[in-house]
Amino acid sequence: MQFNAIQIILVAIWAFIVGIDQFDFLESLYQPIVTGAVIGAILGDLQAGLIVGGTYQLMTIGNMPVGGAQPPNPVIGGVMSAVFAVASGLETEQAVALAIPFALMGQYFVTLLFTAMAPMMSAADKVAEKGDTKGIVRLNYMAMGILGAAFAVVCVMGLMGGSALGTALQAFADQYGWFMDGLGAAGGMMRFVGFATLLRIMLSNDLWGFYLAGFTIAVVMDSIEATAKSTLLLTAFVGFAIAMYDFQTRVAIKQNAGSGNGGDEDGI
Amino acid sequence: MASNATHYNNLKPAQPLDKQTLNKMVLRSFNLQASFNYERMQAAGWLYCILPGLEKIHADNKEDLKLSMEHNLEFFNTHPFLVTFVMGIVLSLEQQKADINTIRSVRVAAMGPLGGIGDAIFWFTLVPITAGITANMAIGGSVAGPIIFLLIFNAVQFAIRFFLMGWSYKLGSQAIEIMTANAREFTRAASMLGVFVVGALTSNMGGTTISLEIPNGESPIVIQSILDGVLPKMIPLALTLLLYFLMKKKNWKPVQCIVLLIVIGIVGGFIGIF
Repeated sequence: MQFNAIQIILVAIWAFIVGIDQFDFLESLYQPIVTGAVIGAILGDLQAGLIVGGTYQLMTIGNMPVGGAQPPNPVIGGVMSAVFAVASGLETEQAVALAIPFALMGQYFVTLLFTAMAPMMSAADKVAEKGDTKGIVRLNYMAMGILGAAFAVVCVMGLMGGSALGTALQAFADQYGWFMDGLGAAGGMMRFVGFATLLRIMLSNDLWGFYLAGFTIAVVMDSIEATAKSTLLLTAFVGFAIAMYDFQTRVAIKQNAGSGNGGDEDGI
Repeated sequence: MASNATHYNNLKPAQPLDKQTLNKMVLRSFNLQASFNYERMQAAGWLYCILPGLEKIHADNKEDLKLSMEHNLEFFNTHPFLVTFVMGIVLSLEQQKADINTIRSVRVAAMGPLGGIGDAIFWFTLVPITAGITANMAIGGSVAGPIIFLLIFNAVQFAIRFFLMGWSYKLGSQAIEIMTANAREFTRAASMLGVFVVGALTSNMGGTTISLEIPNGESPIVIQSILDGVLPKMIPLALTLLLYFLMKKKNWKPVQCIVLLIVIGIVGGFIGIF
């Protein structure tokens, strides 16, 4: 099936919007139920779009971006499965299967962008040092633009290249999977730089024990199925109790000491 | 690199933020993850979201604005739909010109626990229920399916974002009196909680494992399970401490640490460690 220029442009625009929407904007336009209908309408078969979108949505309900993990990219998956369903009249399951190599590309791209944006943070530091507020705004809009543009490109490629391109992409992914695995592992480790930066400033020597205590309690909570999802909240409760106790004790000590030497707190 | 200043130069509290500025920041909060990255996650997006407030608060002192921008660019990650709760509290502290260590610690302590709560509200409850019902409408061929889904999801999202901003800004402003009367004690307690939460993040968000196996006939020796036997989450803890050491003692910049990790990752991917 051939698409006309207007259809290709409209798909590119929608892919641009939802590529960003998966992390920003309304964080709901990208859901397959919406995207399927929109792509269906663009390609001239709203009904087929609704059906494939709804079916894909039911498949992904257990596959949400929980806790920052990257699931197979639902944005490109949603767009491409709608394209295949409408263009080739395929059953939803088959259309979704054909869309997976493209979804994989989308996921790779997200990994690459999130990795590439990490060194950019040093540039952001310099912008902040200068107090350049517009620079920070520009940096954020630029990153959003890159993300949207990449998704538009992948989806237009899919639209023009069809399932044959998908097979080629799959072969590419199989061959260079180790590189993306390695980059993904590096990405997973980079947050430790963020933690270490916080610690560098927050840790005076007498607080080391609290770092290890928080770590330990979270390890325990994480390994128990019933508490794993609430680890950070439950750990914060424990930390709060300790911090509160320390605060109250020290205030009480200060007030007792203060009462002996003439009450310099009177002015407050 | 964040500076080590602990106080703003101008310690006189700024005017409370007006409703219009707060609302502007709620709208910006939708793009919290604009510049998401693996090192500091939402940090630059977070700074972008609260900038309108910071500009008002530190309008009379450019140096303070710079200080504030620098420390608000440190690691930040919370649930995107609940971020306005952290924004309100942090902005109330900024407005009162609280100690920078206090602001940092409160920010870290508030952002951590929200992740699980937000996942529970949105991804485990709201989306499965609304999408489940409306997906079946769509499969039946009804355009109302996607429209109803968008309306319900966003009505909840908008209500939560605006409500949390107003509520937590007020909450923070009220708590400030107790806090400033005992500022030093509060800073210490907040730092304790903050460090405690970073410890928890190290385990909870640290997922690095290795898939190395030593062939041994029927039962290969799995290195990761040996490591887990010594200390669960040993790799996240060891890496965090190593990077802390490199930055604190060897004066490494974050960008050098990142290059090191990319090299480890790709070499490790090539020889099959990950």
